[in-house]
Amino acid sequence: METTISKTTAERPTLAWLRQNRGTLAVLVVLLLLPFIIAIIDGQSISSVLANESGNSKFFQGLLIEIFILGLFALSYDLLLGITGLLSLGHAMFFAVGGYLTGILIKSFGWGLVPTIAAVTVAAIVQALLFAVVLPRVKGLTFALVTLGFASVFHIVVQSREAAPFTGADVGLQGVVIPAFLDPVDQRLRVYFIALLITMVVYFLYQRFVDSPTGRVCIAIRENEDRALMLGYNTFQYKVIVLLISSLTAAFAGMLHTIHQPIVSPNIAGLGYMVIALLIILIGGVGTLSGALIGAAVFRLLDFFIDRWFGEAATFLLGVIYVLLVLFVPFGIVGTWRQHSSQFTHQIEAIIERLRPKKENPE
Amino acid sequence: MSDDIILETYNVRKEFGALVAVADVSIRVVRGTLHSIIGPNGAGKTTFFNVVSGYLPATSGRIVYNGQDITQAPMHRRAHVGMGRSFQITNLFPNLTVLENIRLSHQAVGKNSFRLLRSHRRFGEHIDRADAIINRVGLTRYRDLPARTLAHGDQRKLELGMILAADPEMLLLDEPTAGMASDEVPELMALIQEIQAEGSKTVLLVEHNMNVVMNVSDMITVMHHGEVLAEGTPAEISSNETVQQAYLGNLYENLQEASDHA
Ligand SMILES: Nc1ncnc2c1ncn2[C@@H]1O[C@H](COP(=O)(O)OP(=O)(O)OP(=O)(O)O)[C@@H](O)[C@H]1O
Ligand SMILES: [Mg+2]
Repeated sequence: METTISKTTAERPTLAWLRQNRGTLAVLVVLLLLPFIIAIIDGQSISSVLANESGNSKFFQGLLIEIFILGLFALSYDLLLGITGLLSLGHAMFFAVGGYLTGILIKSFGWGLVPTIAAVTVAAIVQALLFAVVLPRVKGLTFALVTLGFASVFHIVVQSREAAPFTGADVGLQGVVIPAFLDPVDQRLRVYFIALLITMVVYFLYQRFVDSPTGRVCIAIRENEDRALMLGYNTFQYKVIVLLISSLTAAFAGMLHTIHQPIVSPNIAGLGYMVIALLIILIGGVGTLSGALIGAAVFRLLDFFIDRWFGEAATFLLGVIYVLLVLFVPFGIVGTWRQHSSQFTHQIEAIIERLRPKKENPE
Repeated sequence: MSDDIILETYNVRKEFGALVAVADVSIRVVRGTLHSIIGPNGAGKTTFFNVVSGYLPATSGRIVYNGQDITQAPMHRRAHVGMGRSFQITNLFPNLTVLENIRLSHQAVGKNSFRLLRSHRRFGEHIDRADAIINRVGLTRYRDLPARTLAHGDQRKLELGMILAADPEMLLLDEPTAGMASDEVPELMALIQEIQAEGSKTVLLVEHNMNVVMNVSDMITVMHHGEVLAEGTPAEISSNETVQQAYLGNLYENLQEASDHA
């Protein structure tokens, strides 16, 4: 009893997959070539790019790495809020735990990269479970406040004088020596490719997840949790899964952040950093996934160019731009675009419907 | 207890503060029958449904389903023991398509819900079943439209379809025809009867339309102020003096008034 759909996809799954994702794959190819394209435009030789010599190419690689990190962070927030409808205000902690742990383990304990990755994994799982423990007890806004509470405690702890030997308190964690093969300055191109690869793989996995039976249930929970429960879904289990995925993603984004910028500032644990994730998915489109990446790019590039062109007035201007974006593009870039294209298809459908001969009712 | 009884409640009580919405209701629902609950607005019918389906915890009392005490069972567990419920106020996934609403209902009682990295389209059994049901409830032409865009009557059909997809042993239907155009009502009721008869399912039905109830029910429980006023076959209920005087006559008038106003 195969359906036609599964038959056609079963024939040539790879081809179908390539066709479905051609847009994303095109972006991937461009991003792979971008360091070299910029170099050529700039009159810099390919070999100097490969040798990580400084120049515009190297500079924009750094900017893009930041975009990838922000994109991963926003993606993990979109999975919670946009896909599953879970409002957490403690998301900065998910990121900062990865960032701090990486710095502390490398600097204070001399750990290598592999055990550090293992430790970040364990920490991400533990913090997701910590959030999960309170889930059945609190709903909606209360959950948001409880998670804000967790994150605030974490923020205070990393800034405390007692933790200063490890975290550097309010000055931040400085002097982390990243293993030479990932050195953010000398091996910028390698870090760039790794960050790009991770971002793309995570993005594809997220797309896969949202389309899977489990992911569809998460969307159902966002739409109407009571109905999902009544259908027989133990919604708690799905939320735990989503918290785990989100926490792992954010923690590894935090780890990348420390690798790329070996100074861990307590800002990444603050409420303001969580608001950045929220702002990014608002710009890109809540619940769209791709909006998280596009939003991250828009956010970071706006920040960079406005700052470069307007200097003093930049912060004010950015505020105005964000307010205008949220007001006039309420579903975000991707959300609004999708709505327009679906409105267009609806219009065509309506026209076809009108042209179709009506079946007459007997009587 | 005879195993003919699918659902039995013992002194089920639900209080909202000082208000006793359901006052010690004990009923027995015989397997394979269509059992109706009637009563005026505010009688406590929906609240009783909410307690039986686990949406609200009972203040006291016991609920036994197929010999199993489910008084404490969470809502999602009750779907897996064979209970399906519809709501008086339409309760769907508004932005998901008709197909997806029903597919999710079928997936819920299957074994594929914890597959994280395969497309849900690969699990064709759920789609096939959903398509069969969409056909059955007559929504084929709306298959790929979001549920919120459907007319009210079609949303009620979708709701019925969602219950059917899970293939429950017992259907709890809270005014399935509420707000439907009167010419659509017989069609939906006929469908409910058909489903009940061919699958030897049990239906517990809350319904305001007296004609409908008298025609389709095997057994009727009359609720009033949270209590059971009377119980019996349609013939018994319509000849019951207390019900007649205290309630039915009154309700008929009310219904008459309501339809006059409309
Ligand atoms: N969640 C609640 N909190 C407080 N009171 C409630 C709640 N739900 C219902 N009630 C009250 O309980 C009583 C019974 O309401 P219920 O909805 O069960 O009646 P009903 O028989 O279904 O009526 P209708 O025919 O109008 O659907 C009403 O007085 C109602 O106001
Ligand atoms: Mg009611």
